[in-house]
Amino acid sequence: MKKNSAILFAFVSPAAILFLLVFLYPILRTLCMSFFKIDGVTDAFSKWQFVGLENYQKLLSTTLFRISMGNLFRIWAFGGILVLSLSLLFAVIITSGIRGKSFFRAMIYLPNIVSAVALATMWLQYVYSPKFGLLKSFFTMIHLDKLARIQWLSNDHKFMALLIAYCFGMVGYHMLIFASGIERISGDYFEAATLDGANRLQQFRHITLPLLKGMFHTNITMWSVSSVGFFVWSQLFSTVTADTQTITPMVYMYMQIFGAGNSVTERNAGIGAAVGVCLSLCVVLIFQLCNRLFKDKDLEF
Amino acid sequence: MKRKLLYPIAVMASLALALTACGGSQTKESAKDEKSESKAEAGSKAEKADASAQSGDGLVYWSMWEATEPQGQALKEAIDAFTKDTGIAVDVQFKGRTGIREGLQPALDAGTNIDLFDEDIDRVNKTWSAYLLDLEELAKANDYEKTANAGLIAACREVGGGTLKSIPYQPNVFAFFYNKAIFEEAGVKEVPKTWEELDKACALIKEKGYAPITSDDAYILSSFGYHLSRINGYEKASSIVKDGKWDDPSVLAVAKAYEDFAKKGYFSESIASNVWPAGQNQELAAGTAAIYLNGSWLPNEVKDIAGDDFQWGCFSYPAVENGVDGIEAANFGAQVLAINKNSKHAEDAFKLITYFTKGKYDQKLSEMSLGIPADSDNKEWPEILSSVKPVMESLKTRYPWAASAEDNADMTPILKENFTKLCGGSITAEEFVKNLQK
Repeated sequence: MKKNSAILFAFVSPAAILFLLVFLYPILRTLCMSFFKIDGVTDAFSKWQFVGLENYQKLLSTTLFRISMGNLFRIWAFGGILVLSLSLLFAVIITSGIRGKSFFRAMIYLPNIVSAVALATMWLQYVYSPKFGLLKSFFTMIHLDKLARIQWLSNDHKFMALLIAYCFGMVGYHMLIFASGIERISGDYFEAATLDGANRLQQFRHITLPLLKGMFHTNITMWSVSSVGFFVWSQLFSTVTADTQTITPMVYMYMQIFGAGNSVTERNAGIGAAVGVCLSLCVVLIFQLCNRLFKDKDLEF
Repeated sequence: MKRKLLYPIAVMASLALALTACGGSQTKESAKDEKSESKAEAGSKAEKADASAQSGDGLVYWSMWEATEPQGQALKEAIDAFTKDTGIAVDVQFKGRTGIREGLQPALDAGTNIDLFDEDIDRVNKTWSAYLLDLEELAKANDYEKTANAGLIAACREVGGGTLKSIPYQPNVFAFFYNKAIFEEAGVKEVPKTWEELDKACALIKEKGYAPITSDDAYILSSFGYHLSRINGYEKASSIVKDGKWDDPSVLAVAKAYEDFAKKGYFSESIASNVWPAGQNQELAAGTAAIYLNGSWLPNEVKDIAGDDFQWGCFSYPAVENGVDGIEAANFGAQVLAINKNSKHAEDAFKLITYFTKGKYDQKLSEMSLGIPADSDNKEWPEILSSVKPVMESLKTRYPWAASAEDNADMTPILKENFTKLCGGSITAEEFVKNLQK
């Protein structure tokens, strides 16, 4: 047994050592960078200026960063509720023995395989267009002129427009995770419940939901990680310069590291690193919360 | 003893296995590169070029263009001819805007072999100034300035801290572009030189049922920057934006001017929701709006929508009452080519730069990209840009990008939100100032 564990460690060690080198070093370096003022992200250590907690203080006192954190929270919370509810609904529907299950599953997942650039262009230049957009035409057709006049990409509606477009592409992915969780539940439970006179809603409430705890945990964690890294859609909805309704901490980090827009602006990779540290803390916090909320170890099925 | 040794030996063996696996693929990669390079070259000079490339004597050029863009295609053509003529191999890597912006500095810091690169005049000379070779001697030895655009060379020296560290090409100017047919239909005979004249022109255009002015979220802030710089001059305007001096009376004056235009209905109805390129494509090029403040690359960008019969006009941002600057000031500049100060082939690199920016290939670049030629001997501008020529030639003072409006990265989105609302008519000038002061 002793011999076996030595061999086990021997074969795990290379991966562990490489993992530490590839992941731990950047994490520690980022943490260290966040206490310095650094012009270029690859500047030599001799060029770094120690500023202590100044980068963090600056971040907290910068309105734009606070706006970006607010946007991130809105994407995570409202987007999360929207995406996870829809994915759960679709997952329940496609696992309910519906005809054409594979077709619907493929259709709902389809936006995931289309490039975000193509999807965003479709939403921006077609769906939301105030001239010939899908929404405008649709609302005009059903004589809802007030809704037809809404400028979906104006500052007041831009966040909502972005969120809808983003969530549209995310539902399929989370639906598959929920669907796999539902398919894992043995049909015997549902059969027994049916014999006992439980209707579909009761079965969902008392069998499906409790047994999907693990899937909720996975989905919320995945959603949180992808929300924290929210960048591409934000860039696509506000080209060249950032926008108060679409800016996220990742975009703010990019602006600090590589400069903002077409202007030559002051860069500070230290602030960028501080943003990274804050975001990591958010993910760790959410992960811990999820672990406490969704303890599924007591369930075996 | 044997057991004690077993663990470290096994670790070393596994590590070695992991690392050799990586190494193996690298070797394969480089072998593949060599193969593709040797396939690509033929002929005696080309063979020499191939040899020079493999021995590391060739040039490595990191380009800001994509290979599929007209500029990328024109440069590739020039490079092929250059290699054929001189026997100097050039490894051109089309990085695109983002690629070069994110990747150049780390690559240079890591000592990557890059001889020359290009980007916008300000970014190259300010952000990457520490990596640039002083080109004064090379320019003198090659009599480069004889046929170069004097104004742009002066701009390069100015942003280069008094010395020439970059060579301009693809010059551009940021000005009002307009649809001549709409101006004629509305009876606007002369291009506006003052804000009052612009007001009158817009009134006439509006009467004919067109939206006088449109813009997109990407460019709308330049209007604010231009107006603020017209009133104060660039330096003061920039300090207002950088230091957040929003209580300066000139900020309210700019807001009042735009509030007035918004009230008069001079802006497109969708100006508050135009996400680039909606305004330039669906309004200006489509012929429903008359004027758009943008760079001289605009006609090229919308040529497929606007069509061949679109008559392009151009005028400098008008002068404002009691302003420090007039129509002789604008954001003009160019893409610039620069040589890495650690390049071992600076002379060859300068030869290539000359090849790009003079004579036949400068003309070709201008024709293919519908851009302005850099060589002053290339007097023929693309027809589509003929109205830009007098504007470009009249400029004396240079503003950087957005003429101060985007000088404070932490304020740009907030400024953009409020300026867009101001143009859309949903806030007043006073609210605009108040929102910036928050």
